[in-house]
Amino acid sequence: MKPTKNKPYTYTLILPGMLLYAVFFLVPSLFGGVLSFANIGRFSFSDIRFTGWTNYINVLTDDYLSAAIRNSFVFAFATTLLKVGIGTALAVFLNRKLRATNYLRTVAFLPAVLSTVAVGVFFTSAMHPTNGMINRFLHAVGLGAIAPDWLTDPHLAIYSLVGIETWKWSGFTMAIVLAGLQSISKDYYESANIEGASEWQQFRSITFPLVLPYFNNALIVNLIGGLKVFDLVQAVTQGGPGSATEVFGTLVFKSFGSGRLGEGAAASILLSLIVIAITLPTWKLIARKEVEL
Amino acid sequence: MSRKRPRWAAEAAGLLLSLLVVVPLYFIVVNSFKDKAGAAAMSLALPRKWFLLSNYAEMIDAGGVLTGLKNSALVTFATVALLIVLCSMTAFTLQRKNTRMSGLLYLLILLGLMIPLQIIPAYFITYYLHVKTYLAAIVMLAVTNFSFGTFLYTGFYKSIPREIDESAIVDGVGPYRLFFGIIFPLLRPVTVTLIIISFMGVWNDFGITIYFLNSPRNYTVTLTIFNFLGTYSSDWNLIFANVVLVSAPVVIVYLLLQRYIIDGMTAGSVKG
Repeated sequence: MKPTKNKPYTYTLILPGMLLYAVFFLVPSLFGGVLSFANIGRFSFSDIRFTGWTNYINVLTDDYLSAAIRNSFVFAFATTLLKVGIGTALAVFLNRKLRATNYLRTVAFLPAVLSTVAVGVFFTSAMHPTNGMINRFLHAVGLGAIAPDWLTDPHLAIYSLVGIETWKWSGFTMAIVLAGLQSISKDYYESANIEGASEWQQFRSITFPLVLPYFNNALIVNLIGGLKVFDLVQAVTQGGPGSATEVFGTLVFKSFGSGRLGEGAAASILLSLIVIAITLPTWKLIARKEVEL
Repeated sequence: MSRKRPRWAAEAAGLLLSLLVVVPLYFIVVNSFKDKAGAAAMSLALPRKWFLLSNYAEMIDAGGVLTGLKNSALVTFATVALLIVLCSMTAFTLQRKNTRMSGLLYLLILLGLMIPLQIIPAYFITYYLHVKTYLAAIVMLAVTNFSFGTFLYTGFYKSIPREIDESAIVDGVGPYRLFFGIIFPLLRPVTVTLIIISFMGVWNDFGITIYFLNSPRNYTVTLTIFNFLGTYSSDWNLIFANVVLVSAPVVIVYLLLQRYIIDGMTAGSVKG
């Protein structure tokens, strides 16, 4: 039977999916590299004029464009820190039997399923400087003096977006870490207790190493998600005021609208390279495991 | 375990924290029932007068919501159907074949989980191939979710014993009947997960549809919010009613099928 082992499986089945994926995902990825070196204003091959590194130089040196890169990093790192921190705290808090545990897990994850546009619209109202729910609350508890212009103060706006993103995705991060905590067999703790291991020792030798892979995944997923952000920013500030909340995603969208397609392509390629550089270390591990399958 | 913190304190802290999510939801719903002035005040108070149906009727009328619902149904149904067929077929052959080639192709597909879509060249190519509006949105949503779906099915195939294939082959079943007749019916649990997750992703999508469905006639219901930004941007009652309408389907599905959704959405990060 050995020679026929692979016979019943045919590559014909992968053809439709692979073809679409190649034409509309892989080819654009490579073609983006080509366009990033070109000056192009319309979607036509005859309009492509190669200009060398100009687009990249513009993206990296133009104040407006480089603000986007800076903001993307601020957004990605700040949201990752907060989401993973809060998510882990929630996971530890909810990894026990409380009467409200099920309700609390349901509620914590719920923002993750809402559309970003809906969330954005709500926070646009909640962060309204005078009428908004948040500043009203600050006034009510006597902190009216510090009530800021959440979305119109250029120094604050990006952090307000960080807050919204954290609200939406902390529960999701919680679910990842919680899955890790719950994958640990109770037997380990039981035998550790029998051997007289302290709580700290149990954490250090059982909980921490076994949850670490999940924790790493949560970090990576959030970091990539943060760098890729588009819809939240577009829905709430569209990159404004000025360029205060411009990120990669809004930059590409604007270049699409204004016909500066080469710069958009270059920004998009830069984003991909950054994402690859961040994920590559873990990616190798995953790849090795998957090839062996 | 050693420290006995009173349980009620933890319960109370949890309930208090949950207000951070519950209050916004309550706020949106309650303000969708107020008149224009009442909603503009943005308070948590109950409406003095309830505009239960009239707000929603006006919102549906003014916001082009019926068109949006029709478009959302079309795009969501087509994308999800496409994903089920393409991903289940691709994952089957790649998981069962154990060659260098199949491993390489699988890696190429997994790349899509990591690198972002290059939207400008993608738009260029759809434009060049005359793939427009709905079809373009459906194809692009399908390819951007293709990696996830294939990954999901691959995990499931590992749990289907090869003995099933082998005994079918001994009975003289060919490769296509093996897949469509014998394997595909076994996939129901993972297909349900894929349907739910991709339904929510496509319904909520904004990042792709905004490029391809760029006129009010083509908007999905999630994009209809833009119909309020001009003329109706101060009608918060209508805007909140729109938000309720857009969110209700996903929230209902989530409350009914929570386990599937949490497992499915975190699958990529939990199994890797």
